[in-house]
Amino acid sequence: MNLFSLARRNIRLNGKKYSMYLFSMGFSVFTVYTFLALMRNEIVKTAFRYDVRYQSLLSSFAVIILVFVLFFLISSNNSFIRARKKELSTYALFGMPNRRIGGLLFLETALVGLGMLVTGIGLGIFFSKLMAMILLEMTLVNFAGKINFSIDPAAVYQTAALFGGIFCIMGLSGWRVVSRFELVDLFKADKVSEKKSKGSTAVLILSILLMGAGYFIAVNKDPYVVVVGSIPILILVILGTYLFFWGGLPKVLGMVKRKKELYYKGANLISVSAVSHRMRSVASVMATIAVLSAVAVTAVATGFTLYANAERNTYSNVGFDLTFKSGDETVQANVSEVLRKNGVKVLVDEELPLYETDTPTTSIEMDGMPLLTPGNPVRVYSESDFSKLVSLSKTEMETASVAPGEALFLFPYSPDRIEQAMLGQKLDMSGFVAQIADVGRSNISGFGMLNTLVLNDGDFAKLLTEGKLSPSFVDGEAIHAAVYNYEGALKNRQLNEELKAVLEGRGVKYSTAYGLYNESMETFGLICFIGFFMSGVFILMTASLLYFKQIMAAEEERHQYRTLRRIGLDGRTERQVVRRRLLPVFFIPLAMGILHSVFAMKTADTVVFSHMIPATNSYLYVLGFSAIMYGVYGLVYAIFYWITKSQYSRIVRS
Amino acid sequence: MQIIKVENISKVYGSKKNSNHYTALKNISFEVNQGDFIGVMGSSGSGKTTLLNILGSLDKPTGGRFLMNGSEVGALNRNQLAKHRMENIGFIFQDYNLLETMTLKENIILPLALRGKDIAAIEAKVSSLAENLGISHVIEKYPYEVSGGEQQRAAACRALVNDPKVILADEPTGNLDSKSGKDLLKLLTQINTEFGATILMVTHDVFAASYCRKILFIRDGEIYNELYGGSDRKQFFDSIINVMSMLGGGEG
Repeated sequence: MNLFSLARRNIRLNGKKYSMYLFSMGFSVFTVYTFLALMRNEIVKTAFRYDVRYQSLLSSFAVIILVFVLFFLISSNNSFIRARKKELSTYALFGMPNRRIGGLLFLETALVGLGMLVTGIGLGIFFSKLMAMILLEMTLVNFAGKINFSIDPAAVYQTAALFGGIFCIMGLSGWRVVSRFELVDLFKADKVSEKKSKGSTAVLILSILLMGAGYFIAVNKDPYVVVVGSIPILILVILGTYLFFWGGLPKVLGMVKRKKELYYKGANLISVSAVSHRMRSVASVMATIAVLSAVAVTAVATGFTLYANAERNTYSNVGFDLTFKSGDETVQANVSEVLRKNGVKVLVDEELPLYETDTPTTSIEMDGMPLLTPGNPVRVYSESDFSKLVSLSKTEMETASVAPGEALFLFPYSPDRIEQAMLGQKLDMSGFVAQIADVGRSNISGFGMLNTLVLNDGDFAKLLTEGKLSPSFVDGEAIHAAVYNYEGALKNRQLNEELKAVLEGRGVKYSTAYGLYNESMETFGLICFIGFFMSGVFILMTASLLYFKQIMAAEEERHQYRTLRRIGLDGRTERQVVRRRLLPVFFIPLAMGILHSVFAMKTADTVVFSHMIPATNSYLYVLGFSAIMYGVYGLVYAIFYWITKSQYSRIVRS
Repeated sequence: MQIIKVENISKVYGSKKNSNHYTALKNISFEVNQGDFIGVMGSSGSGKTTLLNILGSLDKPTGGRFLMNGSEVGALNRNQLAKHRMENIGFIFQDYNLLETMTLKENIILPLALRGKDIAAIEAKVSSLAENLGISHVIEKYPYEVSGGEQQRAAACRALVNDPKVILADEPTGNLDSKSGKDLLKLLTQINTEFGATILMVTHDVFAASYCRKILFIRDGEIYNELYGGSDRKQFFDSIINVMSMLGGGEG
């Protein structure tokens, strides 16, 4: 029997143990090939008209994937070799030199690697059309082009070269592990002989404090603080997480052990002592999984929330499918003509007079930032005009009612911070004093101006007759706001092009929902797509690493279960023991990852979503959308738990 | 009082139709009474461990009946067997079979915890037992931190903690040095006399067997001889040696 046939035989016999490893290796190859191919795909390239950053996003993602793939493959390969210690030392016992054993392993790695490379690239080619379709479908609103099944030779070469390099490194590191083997290991392999980690209260408290400090910065309401603090937040939380698993969790288990009413209950006694015994070897993996889960889950949740709210975000920013300011009635006629010609059903076609005042003599500042300065014009509406605008629009804003002598102040960004500074301020408009009774957010009413005031109908009419409000002028012409809503606005590219031509031809400033919507879909869709892939890769790599650790542990713990069965452990309790033995190892990192993500989403909410989602408590909305992704992630993770559990049970029962 | 009654037990590995089959036990019958300290002796492959496994309900006989406390053990299903082992049998093994992930105390508690006993009862039971068996000072340590003798005493403690009907010991001194082995045998004798525990010990060590009060010799799956010990252990030792030499000599 030569080395080659021995290697082939080993792969076949270890197939079950290999399967999880093969699966994640194949998936890594598939992912890298897919991204390399997508980056070079001509249709994808031309499809991203709005966003040139897509290529850099895709390629930086491919680099991140490669780094993690390298880390994962090497460490799981080494675990795998250690799991086969007994088999390998048997070769040594029969006189095979370590050099040849190393060669055998290298050959196995090469064979398996070649197989997975072919499979992964094959799958990548097979699904290339589907992947490009998914990407374009997710990111392009009205993609109509035809994607062909394609083989990208350059991507194939690149993937093969990258993974060839990785497999070589794996083979060498495996060789290194083997050369350190001692023959005595053969006889010691079965004993659970680990140094225990007792943990320490100080580390537990420190880890909680570190994570708490990170969370504390993360929930700050000021977007500026959060953005500047993002690196400290990451450092604090990641450090806290590792410390928690290294020193804190063992301490928590120690505390559980002291609660005798709980600890001395059959299955608990066995599983808690087994988990706490394993902590040392599995702590780093658990911490890494918690961090990676947090990253993956946050990426997907952010992408998904952005993506799912793209339409809402669009309308909260522009309000209507088409708006423009014009003093020339013929522009409206031209626009209506285009809409009629395209045969779209027009839902709203209105014209509103625009008024402004440039004389609120009060100056309001906050933190040295001027919010309102005399001489700067402010858009003014009567409450009924404003309510009409709002009810015609596609926003989720509410209509207003304003008491005499009071005013509603509207600001285009989240008003949380300025509310305190603005409320109760008295605005003096050439002798008429209005007190700000309410502050809100509006992106649709400014029509070229930052701030909007809404006044009581009576006050508004009085100011207008007294000449304290003036109509807006452009080039000496009093202008109106024209607003349109029509069916199919977000997807009708042809119509959008025609409208654009008409309005630009007349030199009119306009905004369409189509433009903003398509731009956000491209960006958010891409983030979402990448997020899904990244989560897929992370979850596969981390879960299979955990799987390996547990399977190795199962081999070592088998004799313990034999003893337990001898002293009368029944089948039901045994299943209970296995469950409680494995569940903490899987569940605690996941729970911690999700907890991190909940706070990360709060940060994302402060920086992005609170400007996007017009709800009063946008964070709850964000959490709602994130919860869907947490659920999906948890489900995939649960499948891995289940696979590990059944494999573990199979081993300890044999 | 009769605790175990074995009637014509046999054990055949492999199918009988198959020429490959191997008979480990042939029609063995004997009784064990309350308070007995019985040794089972025989050379390797004589079937003594098979017998112990059957008595411990770790293995099933292919023929015959085996009653414990008047009820037939063979009629129990898997879970009932587990319960039966937990309630009626205490095991002591050659390699101690303590769980490395637990302290000695936790190992001893295990059978009680599995039965769901309350904490106060567990604590009281364990501390008095550990005191009696002389391992109170190491009870909070892990198995790898204490000597083999101490580990085996902890294993004896675990076997006793449930007040089992019978203690089955499989070469309990096999892994111990002579001093610890002697200590353990004294301990078993103490358990037998003071606690009134019924002990069945498999061994091929004549010195260990001389501590028993009755010895069953097994050869090729059959009971070859029985020997009762008197008050003089030295004399008993010599007579065991005699039987053993006849056993070893075989037909030749």
